[in-house]
Amino acid sequence: MSVQDQIRETVTGNPIVLFMKGTPQFPQCGFSATVVQILNACGVRNVVAVNVLADPEVREGIKQYANWPTIPQLYIQGEFIGGCDIVREMYSSGELQEALAKIPAA
Amino acid sequence: MVVTPESIHVSITSGLQCEHCTVQGDGQHFEAVIVSEAFAGKSRIQQHQLVYGALGDRMREEIHALSMKTFTPAQWAQQAR
Repeated sequence: MSVQDQIRETVTGNPIVLFMKGTPQFPQCGFSATVVQILNACGVRNVVAVNVLADPEVREGIKQYANWPTIPQLYIQGEFIGGCDIVREMYSSGELQEALAKIPAA
Repeated sequence: MVVTPESIHVSITSGLQCEHCTVQGDGQHFEAVIVSEAFAGKSRIQQHQLVYGALGDRMREEIHALSMKTFTPAQWAQQAR
């Protein structure tokens, strides 16, 4: 399976996926840490976090997947939501909470 | 090579028609505020992609931390009020 297929499978097979540097417990980048904090503040418990530092192919592949050159990247139900700036803006405006509320309960 | 806010400003404004663009930063972390008519009718993701497009390979190779706020001229006018 190609990296692109692997990424597609991950983001479509899980309701909330965060590609980040480090782990939610030990983020290794301020922007990744911010998104983790925001998701925590939204009460999200089921995020699938992918540490791109652990896999150089995924780290490069995810940039192509969304045509987005930076990490973190948040996906909700397969849809690319944005990086740290956009997630922060959407959290402030309440749009993120709305998007999260639309996820059907598993 | 040292990345300066000025050089990021030049890259953004030469690749994207901007009404307003400010870039601040310390050589590691940068913050940009960009106002462009090109953002009209576009999602936030598309707006940021336009800026990333203007920065091209610099985004991959040199610039590791760029935070940005994007506005259309109309949004910017409201913001300034």
